[in-house]
Amino acid sequence: MPTVVQDRYTDVKARFQQLFEAQQIQLNGHASHPYHQFRQEAMKRLEGLDFPTRRDEEWKYTSVNRLLQPAYQLEPAVEVTEAQLQPFLIEGLDAIRLVFINGAFREEFSDIGKLPEGLTVMDLASALADSRYQEMVQRQLDSLMDGQENAFMVLNAAFARHGLFIHVAKNAVVEKPIYLIHLAAPGDTPTFSSYLNIAIAEQSSEAVFIEGLYELPGAEGAYFNNLVNRFRLKPNSHIHHYRLQQEGREGFLISNADIEQDGDSTFSSYAIDLGGRLVRNNLATTLNNSGTGTNFYGAYFANGEQHIDNHTFIDHAMPHCVSNELYKGILTDKARGVFNGKVMVRRDAQKTNAFQQNSTLVLSDKAQMDSKPQLEIFADDVRCSHGATIGQLDESAVFYLRSRGLSDDQARAMLQQAFLEEVIEFMKMEPVRDFAEQLILKKFEEKSQ
Amino acid sequence: MLTIKDIKVSIEDKEILKGINLEVKPGEVHAIMGPNGSGKSTLANVLAGREEYEVTSGSIQYLGEDLLEMEVDERAQAGIFMAFQYPIEIPGVSTSNFLKSTVNAVRKAQGKEELNALQMLKLIREKIQMVGMNENLLKRSLNEGFSGGEKKRSEMLQMALLEPKLAILDETDSGLDIDALRIVAEAVNQLRNENRSFIIVTHYQRLLDYIVPDHVHVLYNGRIVKSGDKSLALELEEKGYDWIKEEADSVPA
Repeated sequence: MPTVVQDRYTDVKARFQQLFEAQQIQLNGHASHPYHQFRQEAMKRLEGLDFPTRRDEEWKYTSVNRLLQPAYQLEPAVEVTEAQLQPFLIEGLDAIRLVFINGAFREEFSDIGKLPEGLTVMDLASALADSRYQEMVQRQLDSLMDGQENAFMVLNAAFARHGLFIHVAKNAVVEKPIYLIHLAAPGDTPTFSSYLNIAIAEQSSEAVFIEGLYELPGAEGAYFNNLVNRFRLKPNSHIHHYRLQQEGREGFLISNADIEQDGDSTFSSYAIDLGGRLVRNNLATTLNNSGTGTNFYGAYFANGEQHIDNHTFIDHAMPHCVSNELYKGILTDKARGVFNGKVMVRRDAQKTNAFQQNSTLVLSDKAQMDSKPQLEIFADDVRCSHGATIGQLDESAVFYLRSRGLSDDQARAMLQQAFLEEVIEFMKMEPVRDFAEQLILKKFEEKSQ
Repeated sequence: MLTIKDIKVSIEDKEILKGINLEVKPGEVHAIMGPNGSGKSTLANVLAGREEYEVTSGSIQYLGEDLLEMEVDERAQAGIFMAFQYPIEIPGVSTSNFLKSTVNAVRKAQGKEELNALQMLKLIREKIQMVGMNENLLKRSLNEGFSGGEKKRSEMLQMALLEPKLAILDETDSGLDIDALRIVAEAVNQLRNENRSFIIVTHYQRLLDYIVPDHVHVLYNGRIVKSGDKSLALELEEKGYDWIKEEADSVPA
């Protein structure tokens, strides 16, 4: 007998089913394409899965009810001008730019040009039809779906029509970063957009991905972005992933990054979360061999009634691996923050070096932070540390700055910026770092208005 | 410039200052001396605007305004500068960004044009030489990991940049070797002019070998028990504070 909890999202799943079918009708003969079959299977699979409730330990502090209730529409066409995109172009950054609006790829705003040697960027459907990539892409899609119980990832697979495939060839060091802009342009009807990126870095290759999630200036309305990134790092490859998130006031974001690292590879994530009504980021890596490095850096700043939840998981299954994790954030007004950082050090993972820290400034009585470091260690020769702090601004520092003529607002903004700076400093790419700093400064100004 | 009238100050219900009177005219240098626990730093902190000090009676006029009604930042913008005994370390705030922000905040408040990046750089270079500070410190977080001497120089640099009308030095000489002491003194002497006043709070006479005060006041038990010229400081150096204490204690309160 189904419980009340399970019944809760039956209507929601039925609505997604209808949306899916409506889109299928428009496919005109593409329904037999392997990518579409993958999506269809995902849709079928969703039937047997439940969306999480707060009874799930992993979702204890974050309810997705608000996110699942609206009756969404897909890919509404919107008029966008080049000028509206201007605020999101990063000064001084020469990048391969792909622009998506409400989930649909928009070539007219993209700047792909001639791709650097060793770099392939194509949509997933084309990759699945391309004999060079078919097999490797299929393998990644399979591993994404294999035993997958995360309903949002399965939902993503069903709806990500414009999925992207990025391939970095063996020994290719691609200096020009790839900048993906996901722009939400909500209107009167709530919009649902899905983005799926599959990136494979072959042996001894290196690449930089920047992902920007923004709302079209002047737009307002509810929307739901469901994002999945799959990163496959072959031996001695290196991926830097920047994620700059400034969704709109009524934007919901679920973001899942699934990383798999071979020996001697490094994966670095730099995530800045500033926007969104409800944001949930899952970042998880599996380590296949020794000598890997994993860096998860995150900064968040939430005001109003924002809710930002970061869940990370680093699975140390092999010896001699290093992981560094630093998440720092600021909460004010009635905002809520969640951090759950799980680090597993399995029995064979000797000489693991794992560091984790989460620090949050809670600036108002009504803001709330739940921080849960979870370290599970089964090996005996390891160096692991974790810490969580929740505090306020140092009033003696505020006093010092004010005694030099800065206003109370200026002094507080400077200290808050400084607090996040420790995370921002890890961003190696200077134009991106400057851009992230500006986004944060803008948000401080918005607060003091 | 500054008129302090019979102020009484308490912290956590304990009365520290029991009626202080002081008149500082433009261009004057006043030294406030006294044994530990006499209330010297309390006086400096009240002038700087620390909120944990409660002024229970009396008044302070600064350039015709009620100083006690002014916020901390308003005081700084009106030309009061406090060099702290223990400047706080602020990780993540770069020294150079901090200096730029404060110089322009004060200029803006005083109706002057803000400096552009180039003018700022020139100004900072000029003043940093004056206080003998290592330029590399500009790139570091404010006061973070600075040695005692570097912190004091950083305070002097800020003073030189903000060009205050009234500067208060709270035990700026403590913990400094003789070379650093000279540099602090030189900075003060260079900034000394007929419009700018200084209040120098110090336990020891040695700073006053380099900065010659116009007036010396001895604070004891929350009151100014003796005032004089620079010779008073020399007398204290020679005889210590005991004779002052005896004299003061023998007078019925």
